[in-house]
Amino acid sequence: MDGSVRLEEVVMRFGDFTAIDKTSLEIGSGEFFSFLGPSGCGKTTLLNMIGGFLTPSEGRVSIGGEPMAGVSVNRRPTAMIFQNLALFPLMTVFENIEFGLEVRGVDRRTRRATAERLLSLVALEGVGARRVTELSGGQKQRVAIARALAVEPRVLLLDEPLSALDLKLRQHMRSELKAIQRKTGITFIYITHDQGEALTMSDRVAVMSAGRLQQVADPMTLYRQPATGFVAAFVGENNRIEARVIDRLGERVRLDAGTLGELEGRVGDEASLGGGAEVALYVRPEQLRPVAAGTSGDASMGGSTLVAEVESVSFEGAWLMVQARLAGSGEALRVQLGSEVSRSFADALVPGEAITLGYDPAETVVLPRDDGPQVDEATGEVVEATDV
Amino acid sequence: MFRQLAARFGGPLSAAILALLGIWLILMVTLPQLQMIDYSLRPNLLPDQRGGPEDGWTLANYATLFANDIHRAIFFKTLWSSVLVTLLTLAVSYPLAWYLAKVATPRQAALCILLLIIPFWINEILRTYSWFIILAFRGPLNELLLMLGLIDRPIRFLSGDGGVMVGMVYAYILFMVFPLYNAIESLDDNQVRAARDLGAGTLRTHRRIVIPHAKPGIATGCIMTFMLAAGSYAVPALLGSPGSRWFTQIIYNWFFEGGNWNQGAAYAFLLLVLCIGFMSLVMKVFKVGLGDIAK
Repeated sequence: MDGSVRLEEVVMRFGDFTAIDKTSLEIGSGEFFSFLGPSGCGKTTLLNMIGGFLTPSEGRVSIGGEPMAGVSVNRRPTAMIFQNLALFPLMTVFENIEFGLEVRGVDRRTRRATAERLLSLVALEGVGARRVTELSGGQKQRVAIARALAVEPRVLLLDEPLSALDLKLRQHMRSELKAIQRKTGITFIYITHDQGEALTMSDRVAVMSAGRLQQVADPMTLYRQPATGFVAAFVGENNRIEARVIDRLGERVRLDAGTLGELEGRVGDEASLGGGAEVALYVRPEQLRPVAAGTSGDASMGGSTLVAEVESVSFEGAWLMVQARLAGSGEALRVQLGSEVSRSFADALVPGEAITLGYDPAETVVLPRDDGPQVDEATGEVVEATDV
Repeated sequence: MFRQLAARFGGPLSAAILALLGIWLILMVTLPQLQMIDYSLRPNLLPDQRGGPEDGWTLANYATLFANDIHRAIFFKTLWSSVLVTLLTLAVSYPLAWYLAKVATPRQAALCILLLIIPFWINEILRTYSWFIILAFRGPLNELLLMLGLIDRPIRFLSGDGGVMVGMVYAYILFMVFPLYNAIESLDDNQVRAARDLGAGTLRTHRRIVIPHAKPGIATGCIMTFMLAAGSYAVPALLGSPGSRWFTQIIYNWFFEGGNWNQGAAYAFLLLVLCIGFMSLVMKVFKVGLGDIAK
């Protein structure tokens, strides 16, 4: 039995509320797999179904090829790291780590040896005899990992385990978790609403929204080729420009963006986008480059330009973040300028100044305008689908 | 304490509050106890002999208990039976408290608590009498068991300690359920989930996670139930048989039948010492302090 996880048309309903809508997914053995989504999207429900804390209303969950229906939590080859860690406060570190082994009837000496080995794996030697309440946040985190690994799970389920840590520690623990996963070869299923965590650690990420999988892909694909408007807006920053398809040549489309004129973009996998289709063009802030005003962009940029009025500029060290408004539509536009802009150019970026921007259409994505949940670009919050 | 009160209520009012508290503690609690101790240490004399040559402090009243085999037996039987009542109440209350705290929906829990409390709106004597009726030789319980064919002739429930046990568990269940409920309720659900996730079955989860967490509540419930059981008068008087007399009944008899207050006071004081001893023992065993129990 390996550590692969398979969900087949899984549905989870609580009363009238459908938390998970018909979802199928396969997670490979030894994979670091993340579920990324805003709170309430159903990712924790999904994790609880894999761990056995919830029984799906419909569909099947299997681990290592074996169906898990009727297999209770304490008999599944999974171990969970809880959001609040749920270490046993009345026990020492050793007792916490050894708990699962004690349950399995492992003798005292073997238990202690395993606990010592795991403590050294999580770089926490010498604290075994202490009470868990005496440990710092990062140390508790490591004990939780050791405790879960002690039972030799095939699948480790992690429910936003880093959310309680401060930023610096969180970033450190990311690489540590990834290293532990590589060393142990255990399947990690990681739940988070923090895209940074999901993108940096995972082999593959499933973006979830409103109980559905929006896209399952490796982090790079997710970022560069989002499959839905939700993913485009939720993962990383994106500028969204509404337009209508004029015509299409292979991946390239020409778009009529109303007052913004004619723009070009790249079509994602969407085969059905023909002339006249209502679409949204997504351009990442870092893909926008200043071009000389009045030109229609140089050839390498594919000819698309946007004119915007600068609202504010913030200096972030490695880059400049420019908040602007599109001339014509008045929509917000965020531009990230890197080291390629000169000092004098940057100094000239004062509020009220017009700026002409070009982009490479190959680095954009054009998606059908969906009526699914959207991400508010100003706040980053998810707005539920509205019927038009 | 005065300063804290004064900051909130001002000087005169605080002084009044403290004076009332002091009067209450001294006049209502300390002095009567001291007088009882004084009584217990003096021989039972006729009014005109008081202050006479026979009047003086003596331990004779305490010695009576150890000289009287029957009273001594009842004393220890009361101790043992109260322990039994406590354990039975704990056994009944723990699953109930667990259900209320962790399994039931808020609605179910509210309903269940209401059902538990309603009988306590009725006087304890009446409630105990209802058990007397239920457990009677020709009572409904025997009728039911006969009808179901579980027994072929009625059982004398009230002849031994059985009636007293049932009556007491029923009478004191709330004093056990609520401390337990409070303790279990404060346990993080994830603790239980984590134990299950690591492979623990139901029994082990309770033994290793829930019970250690609920220890202060268990100690509080046990102490309260034990004190109430050991000091109970109505239940053994109504549901007990001649063979299952409670020590409180002996004390009562000394005071009101024998008219020997001095002897009664000595017995009452011994019962108090017993209860305090038991309480300290439980607190030591469960490693809880007075502060935990006051919660």
